[in-house]
Amino acid sequence: MCIKDKLKTRVQRNLNQKYIRRLLNIIAKKPVLYAYGSTFSSLSDKYLNIFTIESLRNAYSNNNHPIGYGSLFLPYEMFHALGITPFLPEVMAGFTAGLGLATQTLKEASSNWYSQDLCTFHRSASGAVELDVFPKPDFVITTNLACDAAQKSFYIHSVKYNIEKNFYLIDVPYEYSKESILYLTGQIKNICMDISSKSGMKLDTSKFKEVINLSNEFRKWAIKVNNLRKTLTNYPPYYNGLNFILPFHGLAGTREAVILYNQMYKELKKYLDKEEKEKSGKNKSPKRILWLHLKPYYKNEIFNILERENCRVVFEEINYIYWPELDPERPFESLAKKMLSHFLSGRIDNRINVILKAAREYKVDGAILFSHWGCRQSNGGARIIKDSLNKLNIPTLVLDGDCVDQNNSSQGQVKTRLQGFVEILNS
Amino acid sequence: MIQDSKSTDNLDTIKNKINNIPAFFKNTLSSTDKRPLVGWFCTYTPEELIVAGGFIPVRIFGRKKLIKSESYFPINFCPYIKSSWESLLSGADNLKAAIFTNSCDGMRRFFDTANKYLKDTPSYLLDVPHLRGAGSIDFFANSIGNMKRFIENLNGKKISNKEIKNAIILINNKRRLLKKYSQISTKLPELISIFSYFKVMELSMISAPEIFTDDLERYIKFIMEVDAENMTNLQPNYKNTPGIMIIGNFITEEKLWGMLSTMNLKLASDDLCISSRYFEKQIELGDDSDFLNLTAERYLNKPQCMRMADHGLKLKEIENNIIKNNIEGVIFISLKFCDTMLYSFPLLKQKLNELGIPALYLEIEYNNFSEGQLKTRVQAFLEML
Repeated sequence: MCIKDKLKTRVQRNLNQKYIRRLLNIIAKKPVLYAYGSTFSSLSDKYLNIFTIESLRNAYSNNNHPIGYGSLFLPYEMFHALGITPFLPEVMAGFTAGLGLATQTLKEASSNWYSQDLCTFHRSASGAVELDVFPKPDFVITTNLACDAAQKSFYIHSVKYNIEKNFYLIDVPYEYSKESILYLTGQIKNICMDISSKSGMKLDTSKFKEVINLSNEFRKWAIKVNNLRKTLTNYPPYYNGLNFILPFHGLAGTREAVILYNQMYKELKKYLDKEEKEKSGKNKSPKRILWLHLKPYYKNEIFNILERENCRVVFEEINYIYWPELDPERPFESLAKKMLSHFLSGRIDNRINVILKAAREYKVDGAILFSHWGCRQSNGGARIIKDSLNKLNIPTLVLDGDCVDQNNSSQGQVKTRLQGFVEILNS
Repeated sequence: MIQDSKSTDNLDTIKNKINNIPAFFKNTLSSTDKRPLVGWFCTYTPEELIVAGGFIPVRIFGRKKLIKSESYFPINFCPYIKSSWESLLSGADNLKAAIFTNSCDGMRRFFDTANKYLKDTPSYLLDVPHLRGAGSIDFFANSIGNMKRFIENLNGKKISNKEIKNAIILINNKRRLLKKYSQISTKLPELISIFSYFKVMELSMISAPEIFTDDLERYIKFIMEVDAENMTNLQPNYKNTPGIMIIGNFITEEKLWGMLSTMNLKLASDDLCISSRYFEKQIELGDDSDFLNLTAERYLNKPQCMRMADHGLKLKEIENNIIKNNIEGVIFISLKFCDTMLYSFPLLKQKLNELGIPALYLEIEYNNFSEGQLKTRVQAFLEML
C-alpha cells in the first residue's frame, strides 16, 4: 500500500478534526512535505499537493489568523489582503470523495434533512460540517455567482457555528453593466471593511496592492499555460487540469499560485518542446476533447478509458481566464469586475461564447459535459450547449454522473457511453 | 360538529354557494378584455409595470402534459419550469411577451431556453437582488426601469408616471382584497374550502386585474354578509381543530387542495408564492413620485422567497406567523428539485423543533402526484396533532 493510500485509510478510520489537524501538522513539516511532494510524478502535481496541504494546515491549525469559509467563485484576493485563511467547503467536498469519506458525510447530511436531490458538493460539505470535521470558521463568505446552492448551504454553516452575523453574501448582478459594477464594488468594499473591523486586522492598502499584483502575476502564468495547451498533446503522467480548482480560486493573490502556475508552464513547455522534436507522424494523433463542468473526484475510470481510446482532454472550461487584469489602485472595483466577468454569471451565452472560443482555439474534436447530479445551473443549459457545439460540427456527450457520490454513478454505463462517443468521434 | 339538522342544512347551502367560485367570478372568467397578455412566473415581477404598459399580466401555470419540454431539460429539473416551457412551446397562452426573473438557477436556464428557442415571443429577465437594503433597492429600481423600457418597446409607447401610479393603485387594491379574503378564509375555514381559497388566488394572477377586483369585492361582501347574519349560530366547533400552516413554493395542485378540503384541516396561515408572498405588503404611495423606487422597495421587502439571502429573516417571518396564528403544525410542501426550498428545510426544521411545532415534509411533482399516498401521510400527521 502506497503512502497516499495509507493516509486515506487513516483518515477514514479517524474522521475527526483533531486527528486531521495532527496529521496535517506532521505532513506539513517542510522535509516531510517535500518528500511527500516528490512522490508525485509531475511537477505541477507536486506543487499542487504541497500548497494544498499547507493551505489546509493553516486552516486547521489554531493560529492567530481568522478562518473564512468561502464558496468557489469568490475573489479570494480579498481573503489574502485581509489576512483571512480561506477554507473552501465545496473543494473539500471533492476531497471527501477522493478520500472515500463521502458516504459518511452524505449520510450525515441526509440525517440533517438535506434532500438527496441537492448537489453532493454542498451536501457532502454540509455533512462534514455537521460531523465537525471542518475547522470552525470566524467568517462565512459566499456568492450567488454560478449557483444558488452555496449561498443557502453556507448560511446553514454560519448558523451551526453561531456566527450568522459574520455571514456575508456577495450578490452578483445578472448583467455586466455600470450599475452592476457600482452595486458589487460597494458590497465588496463594505464586506472588507466590516470584516476588518470585526477581526481587528487593518485593511492595509499596500497589502491589498501586493495581493492584486500577485493575482495578476498568477493570471499571466495561467494564460501562458492555457496558450501552451492549445498545441500540447502529451502531458505529464496523471496531469489533470480539473485538479487545480483550489489554487485557481483559493490561492489567487498568493505567491503560491504564482509559483505553481510558473512551474506548470515550465513543465508543460518541456513536454511541448519534446513533442515538437519527436513529431514523426507515426503515431495517430489523439482526439482532442474539451471538458465541460467538473469531474468525479473519487477513483474512477473516465480518464483511463479516454486514454485507452486515444482521446485527450486538451482543455477544461473551468481553467479559462475570464477576468481582465486587475487594477491595484482600484482593488474593490477590480474584484467586482472579475466576478461580473465570470462566464457562469448571467446569460448562458456568456458560457457558450467561452465554450465555442475554446473549441476553436484548442481545435477540439468533441466535448464532454459532465452532468453532475443536482447541478441545475449547468445541466439546465446542456441542451443549448450541445446545440451550439453541434453547429460547429463538434459532437457533445452529456455524461450523467456525480462528482462526489460514487454510489450515484454507474461505472458500466459511463464506460459504455464513453465508448459510444469515441466511436462517433472516429467515424 | 354542528348541533342540529336545520343549521346543518343551512350551513351546507351557504357553503355550496360560497364555494361556487365560477358563479362569483363569472365576469373574470368570461372576460372579453382584448388587451394583449404578458406572461410572468415569479412574485418578484412588478405587475404594475405590465398593467401600466397596457397589457394584462398573466402568471404562467403550465399545467400541460409534458411532450416536448422534457428534451430541453434534465430529468431532475424543476417540474414547474418544464410544465411552463411546454405551455410556452405550445403557444397556448398566446403571449405578447414573457418576463422572467433571476429567481433561481432553474429560472435563469428557463429564460435562456426561451430566449434561444422561442423566437416569436420576446422574453426579458428582470434582475432581482438577493439582498435587501438601500443599495439593493436602488439597484432593483434601476432593473425595473430596464424592464419598463422592454415593455415600452413591445408596443412602441412610453409609459407615463401617471399610468404607473394608476397601475400601482389598482394592484394595491387587488393585494388589499386578497389579504382581506385570506383573513376571512382563516376565520371561516368551515365555510370557505381550501380549494376555493387557492382557486381565487390563482384567478388573481391570471385575470384582468380591474375585472377580478370587482368580482372579488362582491364575493367578499357576500361572505361578510353571511358572516354577520349567520356566523354566530353556525360557527362550528372548529376551535378544536389544530391550525395548520402550509409553507411551500409554487404549489398549485388542484387535486391537493381538493384533497385537503375534504380533511379535517384548518388552514390558519400559509407562506406560499401563490398566496401570501404574492399579496402581502403594499406599495406605499406618498409624496414621493419616484414610483420605480417605491415599487422596488415593496417587492424587496415583501415576505421573502427562500431565494433571498437572509434566511434568518425568513425564519423570523415564519416564527412570527406561527405565534400570531396559533399554528400547531406545519406542512412543508416543495416541488421536487427546488434547491432554494430544499435548502431552507434543515434550518426550518430546527426552528420548528425549538418551537415545539411538528412538521410534515412533502416533495411533490407538478401536475402529477400520488393522491393516495399523500392523503395517508397528511392524515397520519393530523392524527398525530
